[in-house]
Amino acid sequence: MLGIVYAGNRELSFNELTQMRSVSALPFAGRYRVIDFILSNMVNSGIINVGVAPKINYFSLMDHLGSGGPWDLNRTKSGLFILPPYIRGDIGKPSGTIDLIYGVLTFLRRSRQKYVLLSEGNTICNITFYDALKFHIEKNADITIIYSDNKTTDNLENCNLYTLDENKRITEAFCSPRYPKTTLAGMEMFIVERLKLIGMIEEAYSRGNHDFICDIILSNLNRLNIYGYEHKGFVARINSVESYFEANMKMLDNSVRREIFGGENPIFTKVKNQVPTKYGKEANAISSLIADGCNINGTVENSIISRGVYIGAGSHIKNSIIMQNSVIEENCDLENVIIDKECTLRRNKRLVGQPGLSVILPKRTLI
Amino acid sequence: MKRTECIAMILAGGQGSRLGVLTKSVAKPAVPFGGKYRIIDFTLSNCLHSGINTVGVLTQYQPLDLNTYIGNGAPWDLNKNIGGVFILPPYQSDEKGEWYKGTANAIYQNIEFIDRFNPGYVVILSGDHIYKMDYSKMLLFHKEKDADATIAVIEVPWEDASRYGIMTADESGKITEFNEKPQKPKSNLASMGVYIFTWKTLKKYLKKDEKNPESVNDFGKNIIPSMLGAKERMFAYSFDGYWKDVGTIKSLWEANMDLLTEPPVLNLYDNDKSIFSRNPVKPPHYIAEGAVVKNSCVTEGCNVFGEIYHSILFEGVTVKEGAVIKDSIIFPGATIGKNTLINKAIIGENAVIGDGCSVGIKENAEKKSSYCTDGISVVSGGITLSEGTTVYKEEMVTRGGRRSE
Repeated sequence: MLGIVYAGNRELSFNELTQMRSVSALPFAGRYRVIDFILSNMVNSGIINVGVAPKINYFSLMDHLGSGGPWDLNRTKSGLFILPPYIRGDIGKPSGTIDLIYGVLTFLRRSRQKYVLLSEGNTICNITFYDALKFHIEKNADITIIYSDNKTTDNLENCNLYTLDENKRITEAFCSPRYPKTTLAGMEMFIVERLKLIGMIEEAYSRGNHDFICDIILSNLNRLNIYGYEHKGFVARINSVESYFEANMKMLDNSVRREIFGGENPIFTKVKNQVPTKYGKEANAISSLIADGCNINGTVENSIISRGVYIGAGSHIKNSIIMQNSVIEENCDLENVIIDKECTLRRNKRLVGQPGLSVILPKRTLI
Repeated sequence: MKRTECIAMILAGGQGSRLGVLTKSVAKPAVPFGGKYRIIDFTLSNCLHSGINTVGVLTQYQPLDLNTYIGNGAPWDLNKNIGGVFILPPYQSDEKGEWYKGTANAIYQNIEFIDRFNPGYVVILSGDHIYKMDYSKMLLFHKEKDADATIAVIEVPWEDASRYGIMTADESGKITEFNEKPQKPKSNLASMGVYIFTWKTLKKYLKKDEKNPESVNDFGKNIIPSMLGAKERMFAYSFDGYWKDVGTIKSLWEANMDLLTEPPVLNLYDNDKSIFSRNPVKPPHYIAEGAVVKNSCVTEGCNVFGEIYHSILFEGVTVKEGAVIKDSIIFPGATIGKNTLINKAIIGENAVIGDGCSVGIKENAEKKSSYCTDGISVVSGGITLSEGTTVYKEEMVTRGGRRSE
């Protein structure tokens, strides 16, 4: 199999967080980026040929991926290919997933693997694709959609939902429905035969179609063999600021964390050399995930603290996400906030958001 | 081939027997240090910051961990097309094959390796000291003085001077006398085990020394005295930063604790000269509800449910509920059981300390180990201590020893 990670075209609103970066480049769980999960999942499934097709704001993604070394994708044969859209007269600016994949057809044609794992980079899970591929072959499917049962209809905004028959064939598909009728939600991971994918994309593109789900899956449910493969483990979909916040907080759960990070398949990420985190004499940290290189002197509760963060004495951080290299000086009081990278809060500041509505400080804010 | 100005040779073959069970299965340079490092990281990072791109690492004793750890040298930017890092174990040739007999013999056996790079100068380093030093400044000094050998020295307290190789130098820095562990030291300038030699000269002395059957082929005992005797130009280069030989359990423990003082005596937070290491693939550490962590260093992959005071936790350590750890160093992957009390101890890699154990708290004069002093206890790596085990103060527990698996 080869892998393609594409930037989604769903209308994702992350306010300040994605002003300068794509969703897949968002920092996650204190040390990772969202894209690390799909890349690691691919690598852990023996995929050694990966194309990443970003759409906009991809500087931070490229900076993170580099030559693919952390994922062992800096290879002589195959490896990691970053395929940013190039503006070509006959293609124009990419507006949907089909345009994006059309833009990387050369990569698809040049690759030799028989199957493609196509994925948006925004799902947090630890999965290998061996069983899904076996399922795909057994079912003689044209497209296999990997989905999970969300159990409830909460947090399904911006998700694609499906219903299946007892044979696991997809019977109905709903593109980001406003009122979910089912709890079976796609993980935005698809298995397709490479040559079939090239054919589908060429055909859809020539008809002026843009969206892989709506224009290829939804309109071909009867014509193509489209099956659903269920992933039973933990899944978090990063679709909104709230789901991003919540997914981070889920990592504080011991069993979730063990499933995602503690198994035999590690999640790889770009390595930064950081010193161990140092706790001061007055430090007070509970129920928190804290990365290396921090200096903790205040109180941290139920929070995610990324690498290189400084927290001054007397400060109290609760239910918050603090990203890399931010400085919280003495006696600050923070609750339900997301602080982007390299922010500085001078002493005695107070910032309080509400559950479900976090205060976001954009990158490099100084207050 | 393009001439390399200066290459570094790191002597990493020593057993470090004074570290007792900690070096039972790893060479001293591969012993963990400071929450996420290995001792050799300091020397390798110094090379990187000094612009030295060709490094030979001479290994002999238990090299497996060290070899895997260094790998292709990528963390230290030593994965290069020209130069890079080379692991140099002793080898068989058609004439003979033998172990490295001493530090000088180890270099002697690799003369051919060094000649391939045709260097002007060779830096000889040991892989078992904790310090941050710019060798390029020392090389500049060496060239300015037109020296044959330059030896880095550091001022040590007079009362400790008899434990080191002591230099006496005149005002210009020229070494007039050298005494290995003198009973009545004439100076307090101790050799740091960092030498720069003009390669041409050193090669001559290595060959001469090899022919001398009386020699133990050691830099401190043979090469330096014989060069001094022949009136070669030898200079002492003063270094005034942090430097520590972590050759004993006590000094290893102290050097680790030096990271916890405020401000730290040994500063690793200096971004320009940071120490590089091979990083584990682990999530950030988790501090649970009810846990206490004060005045400590904690690294990625740890799960802390108990209480930690003035201690250092390496990556992937689990501390269960009710455990209390004080003044201790817990090596990577160790597990500390529920309600276990640990005081002033070093717990080895992947050791499993069962529930309700007591380490380093109770006294028992008979159980004392000669390696452990100043109240430090040691549990060696990979050991499993069953529930309720007591490890006494200054005791060293190892496999095959008391109460091991």
